[in-house]
Amino acid sequence: MSTTTAPPEAEGDGPGGGAPVRRVPAWRRGLRPYLLSVPAVLVIAGILYPFALGAYYAFLDYAAVVPEPVFVGLRNITGTLGDPVFWSSVRVTATYALAATAVETVLGVGIALLLFRAGLVGRLLERLLILPLMIAPVIAGVIWGLMFNPQFGVLNHMLGLGSTFDWLSEDRALWSVMLVDVWIFTPFVAVLVLAGLRSLPREPFEASDVDGAGWFYMFRRLMLPMMWPYILVAVIFRFMDSLKVFDHVYVLTAGGPGGATRTLQIGAFQNSITNLNFSLGSTYMLLLWVIVFITARYLVAVLGRAQRRAAGSED
Amino acid sequence: MNPRRNRRPPRTPGSPLVPGPPGAPDLSRRRAMGLLGAGGAAAAGAVLLPGCGLGTGSIAGGENGAGEVTGAFDWRKAEGAEISVLQTPHPYQVAFQPLLAQFTELTGITVNADLVAEADYYTRLNTELASGAGNYDAFMTGAYFIWTYGPPGWMEDLRPWIDNESATSDEYDFDDIYEGLRTSTSWDFTTGSPLGTGGQWAVPWGFETNVICYNKAEFDRRGIRPAETFDELRELAVDLTDRSENTYGLAFRGSRSWATIHPGFMTQFTREGCVDYTLEGDRLVAAMNSEAAVGFTRKWVDLARDAGPTSWTTYDYPDCTADLGSGTAMMVYDADSATYPQNIAGNSAEAGNLAWHPGPAGPDGNYDTNLWTWSLAMSSASRNKLAAWLFIQWATGRDAQSQAVQTGELGFADPTRESVFEDAFKAGLGEFSGYQETFERVIDSTRIHFTPQTQFFENTENWAVALQDIYAGDDAGERLDALARASTDALDTE
Repeated sequence: MSTTTAPPEAEGDGPGGGAPVRRVPAWRRGLRPYLLSVPAVLVIAGILYPFALGAYYAFLDYAAVVPEPVFVGLRNITGTLGDPVFWSSVRVTATYALAATAVETVLGVGIALLLFRAGLVGRLLERLLILPLMIAPVIAGVIWGLMFNPQFGVLNHMLGLGSTFDWLSEDRALWSVMLVDVWIFTPFVAVLVLAGLRSLPREPFEASDVDGAGWFYMFRRLMLPMMWPYILVAVIFRFMDSLKVFDHVYVLTAGGPGGATRTLQIGAFQNSITNLNFSLGSTYMLLLWVIVFITARYLVAVLGRAQRRAAGSED
Repeated sequence: MNPRRNRRPPRTPGSPLVPGPPGAPDLSRRRAMGLLGAGGAAAAGAVLLPGCGLGTGSIAGGENGAGEVTGAFDWRKAEGAEISVLQTPHPYQVAFQPLLAQFTELTGITVNADLVAEADYYTRLNTELASGAGNYDAFMTGAYFIWTYGPPGWMEDLRPWIDNESATSDEYDFDDIYEGLRTSTSWDFTTGSPLGTGGQWAVPWGFETNVICYNKAEFDRRGIRPAETFDELRELAVDLTDRSENTYGLAFRGSRSWATIHPGFMTQFTREGCVDYTLEGDRLVAAMNSEAAVGFTRKWVDLARDAGPTSWTTYDYPDCTADLGSGTAMMVYDADSATYPQNIAGNSAEAGNLAWHPGPAGPDGNYDTNLWTWSLAMSSASRNKLAAWLFIQWATGRDAQSQAVQTGELGFADPTRESVFEDAFKAGLGEFSGYQETFERVIDSTRIHFTPQTQFFENTENWAVALQDIYAGDDAGERLDALARASTDALDTE
């Protein structure tokens, strides 16, 4: 193998008679990295500007009926943190995100395992499985709203519940809207985990099989640790998304009855858009962002550890 | 009185102020940018909000344009102009859509009507007006929204336009519009001032009284009549409820929205002698926890539980009227205009079987009735104010409204002009048993019975939430005490 240390040929006809090389002026070479980074800078600015402005308005008294915004420091944040309505929304959001993610993960992993070695029927089901994902959550909310209707909904009719069972009553509404979430997003977990399953190496399983390991042993000691990073990715996506849930919940209940399904997003929407209290809406969003940020940092750290463990670089 | 209210912001260098309507604060570039940023903030955190329109506009507000119109009135004064109108699909809009060509022929003005479903209408309108972009010259609005849109200077005061003979036809006759409607769309934005003071922020276009619509065929079959008192209504509704047959007595709204309060609830609340706020000195104090109000609210929620729709806490007016039209609900306590289309042949299974009744009178025999009016308003950021005013003037005028009443596919109930009701509208009421009698019984006491306030939507939605909590088992007295405290605090700290 040889290397050359010859300097690059100067602009113009070289000694070898090759094509002339254009010398790029130094100032243009210096500018090039900045030009290349312009799209990224614009994207970041497009994200950061409204975010920073929104965060700023959390520190103002600012609403449609307040003629001029007034800087109030932390008053909105302390006021919101001292408001039981906000904590009720936090509780609703956390319950929703934890329960929906848990159910979707268990069901999604189960479905992926069932489909993993299935034949023609499995492949057909695999394609049908993703249909709910193609429906906008708002539309899903409308569809399920009709199905939940006690007077003419198909659920009460098929389950023999009569016309007095209210799926969206104060004590059931949260679980009902969660059911819709599970219906929409379980396929997402299943598809992700199924893709992970198909990427696993065969050799460890064949070796274990030769050694006489049972199915459950192989699942627990081989498959699950190797699948874990994929499951965690699905969990992270679903959990983050569930913390920000809005669409179908708003369509089904608008946050009610009472505050039973008033998630932080719905609270922010109602404050900002319905009541035109921009400061309070921004405060809700800022606090939700803090929750999502902390949770995301933690889950990503867990994912990193899981990936290292799956790769065998960490016990 | 809150000293901040109605205060014009100081004019500062580098902050080009554009004066807003009289009585409303001006909107500076800084404030307009602020509004955009606030919307952007929500958009940043909420995945649902991007693209909602905030952050795209320029300065809202502007000089009232009526003074610039001089000379003799002429419908073609703004010939060649093009205006955009934001509307929501509604029988009024449906009735006027085919007539827009006539307006263009009359004035030479092109109208682009943008339709947004009612569920999303105010979200769109809020963000549009907050942006100050002036994308829409005129828009449909309810009277309560004036209390929010007016103070920031988003709406044009139409009083100078009405009074300007160069801009308004001699034949317009604004006073032909029912008085309760004219006053409901006028306010000076001062705490404690009654409606009817200050600017005319919108012109009523169509309106609704909140009364009982019932299945007359079923009532006749059973040999019963509508109730005349609230206690009778409760008994009747319970008697008509048969859950095993999937039928129930009375449909009325119960969703988590301010709109749950304003129709049947507010009407009967007022008839029973209750008020929402009292003025103590210069502050409003919530009174929905008075002894009478607690007693009434308890009965109202019991009515929902015993004889209302099973999923009452999700019910909006389309659910109520659909149940009436399908024969599931025996009565509806809501807007007459919402039940009216259900009686038009082909619109529902019970078409032709429905009739109207004023609903229970109060203990003293009063028929106080809360109204809703879809009105037409002008954006203060409009760049085509004369053309927008000509459109509003035409649409709320006698000729166009008479024609809409006669040709509207879903009807046009109720016209806002007395002359139109007496003439064209009455002529078509033959199939609508009790409609005219009900209207005539309640019209003189029909107005907005809420106390005007800038925190209307937040406080009234909280009221609906309180009803839902009581429905779920909370004690009515304690819950309404908490609601009253929160509502008064919200007004004190605004």
